[in-house]
Amino acid sequence: MQEPLLKLININKYYGDSHILKDISLDINDGEFLTLLGPSGCGKTTLLRCIAGLVSIESGDILLRGESIKDLPANKRNVNTVFQNYALFPHLNVYDNVAYGPRIRKSMNETKLKRRVAEVLEMVQMSGYEERRPHQLSGGQMQRVAIARALINEPDILLLDEPLGALDLKLRKYMQTELAQLQKQTGTTFVYVTHDQEEALNMSDRIVVIHEGRILQSGSPREVYNNPRNLFIANFIGDRNIIKVKVLEKGDEYSRIRLGNHELYIRCSGNAECAGDMAVLAIHMDKMRISCNEMPNSLTGEVLSIHYAGSQIRTEVSVDGKKITVIEYRNSDCDYEAGDHVTITWEDSGAILLPMEDFEENGI
Amino acid sequence: MNARAGRFRTFYLSLFFVALYVPVLSVILYSFNESSSTAHWAGFTLNWYRQLFNDRVIAEAFKISIQVAVLTSVLSAIIGTATAIIAMYVTKKMKKAINGIMLLPLLVPEVALGISLLIFFSALKLPFGHLTLVLSHSLFCVPYVYIMVQLRLNDIDFSILEAAKDLGAARWQIIRTIILPLVAPSILTASLLALAISLDDVIISTYMSGAASTTLPVHVFSMMRVGVTPKVNALCTLILVGTFFIVGLGQLINKKANKKEAF
Repeated sequence: MQEPLLKLININKYYGDSHILKDISLDINDGEFLTLLGPSGCGKTTLLRCIAGLVSIESGDILLRGESIKDLPANKRNVNTVFQNYALFPHLNVYDNVAYGPRIRKSMNETKLKRRVAEVLEMVQMSGYEERRPHQLSGGQMQRVAIARALINEPDILLLDEPLGALDLKLRKYMQTELAQLQKQTGTTFVYVTHDQEEALNMSDRIVVIHEGRILQSGSPREVYNNPRNLFIANFIGDRNIIKVKVLEKGDEYSRIRLGNHELYIRCSGNAECAGDMAVLAIHMDKMRISCNEMPNSLTGEVLSIHYAGSQIRTEVSVDGKKITVIEYRNSDCDYEAGDHVTITWEDSGAILLPMEDFEENGI
Repeated sequence: MNARAGRFRTFYLSLFFVALYVPVLSVILYSFNESSSTAHWAGFTLNWYRQLFNDRVIAEAFKISIQVAVLTSVLSAIIGTATAIIAMYVTKKMKKAINGIMLLPLLVPEVALGISLLIFFSALKLPFGHLTLVLSHSLFCVPYVYIMVQLRLNDIDFSILEAAKDLGAARWQIIRTIILPLVAPSILTASLLALAISLDDVIISTYMSGAASTTLPVHVFSMMRVGVTPKVNALCTLILVGTFFIVGLGQLINKKANKKEAF
């Protein structure tokens, strides 16, 4: 096992009386694209700022390549941040903005600096903008300069704090691809903070879900998407139908459950015990299909309404009095209208059985 | 109704500006009056200006005024800016205290301030002259610099400073490479304002002037004792033009700087 690049050990952070980070421990490997995902106020940005050294921690330790950087001020840590609002220096042009780090650290002579600035600007496709001032750039361009300004220092870790938050949807999607490419190209470890699950799923090698100052789950996008460890994650990532069900028989991998008049076999969440009498069934809306024929391991119900929203068709079906939403991207095998009785099936990976524990607090 | 209200507003404003500027205009006008009395207009002349430029005492007072004003503006720019930057890095409580202390000289009546300074400097056995003038003028010019620089500092996005730190800059490097360049236009404007205030001051200067260091306004004041001569009018006109020029220049710099760097 390779030694992790960055090791966070039992980090605690308070702002006044509120406990922002609760015993956070996390290993970050060299070269990975790691995303800290969570709703606003969960502590993900604070965690990022702890790594950057912009805020101090009350207890715990931060090891970079095995050495504690806990007490090093931000300007002595070999990590760089891309801020949400870009934070470019308004009085300096693009060249001087990018050259700021090396000049302050006196890490290169002017000839090498010139070459490196040209290199990183090329990398973020901003060659030719050297003389521009920040206020003459668009949001996307400022973002690129901010990334170049950080990358020129060849940091051990690049920290990105919701860098695409201020961009419009189209540009955001484009920049997602580009950021992921840039990360592979430079081999720099990226730690990316976002509240946007789609961004996280698109770009990351690994997603760390944070909620109320704790790490709930850490895994590949596929793992987090298909095998959420608890209801909060199931509810936060992807659109799911979430239904309370009765557990009839607990199996090792699949459990037999009852939902109204239906008996189903559903996969259990990895480590969680789906024992107990009751559990929560979570099914991805877009992994469900509507069919007119009887199928095994399926639900039947009455179509309540059908909405066409661009490329997707959203159908609401009442199953034993419970409303289930199905999202399909093409027409179903059969024609149906509101009031018809249909069968709903799903991909096996789309459905999961979760423990009841936090059903109430998630307010479903 | 609206038209009437509009007309009334125009009338009211006109009256206001007439009341404000007619006395000023009359000073300028009478500085060109041939007659030495303000009772009537006797024709155009530049005579009073000629006399003014030949007046050795006035020239000396003018020189002293300029020296004091320049030194005051430099000293207050340094102290005001430094204090405003220090106030960024202290606790909220401390900042409030600094704010209070900095604004106090503006609230103390000048007569009281003058007497206090007189007693203070006498106790220190400082000779009255350039030094006491510069120190006392700085006392009430520093707050202006402090306020103007602080306004600009408040406009700086805090994450810019964090970005600088993140890129490896220590505090003094952040101040030198980021903060000072960003507030430079305000420092310049504030210094010009300090220059104008110092040039204009009469009350404090009356207390502080030594026998050989009478400033121009103090001299004008003493000239008035023997009656308003057109020479005083000419001098006032020049002071007026000079002050407007300095303040106008300051405004211009500020405006240009604001346009160039929208934070």
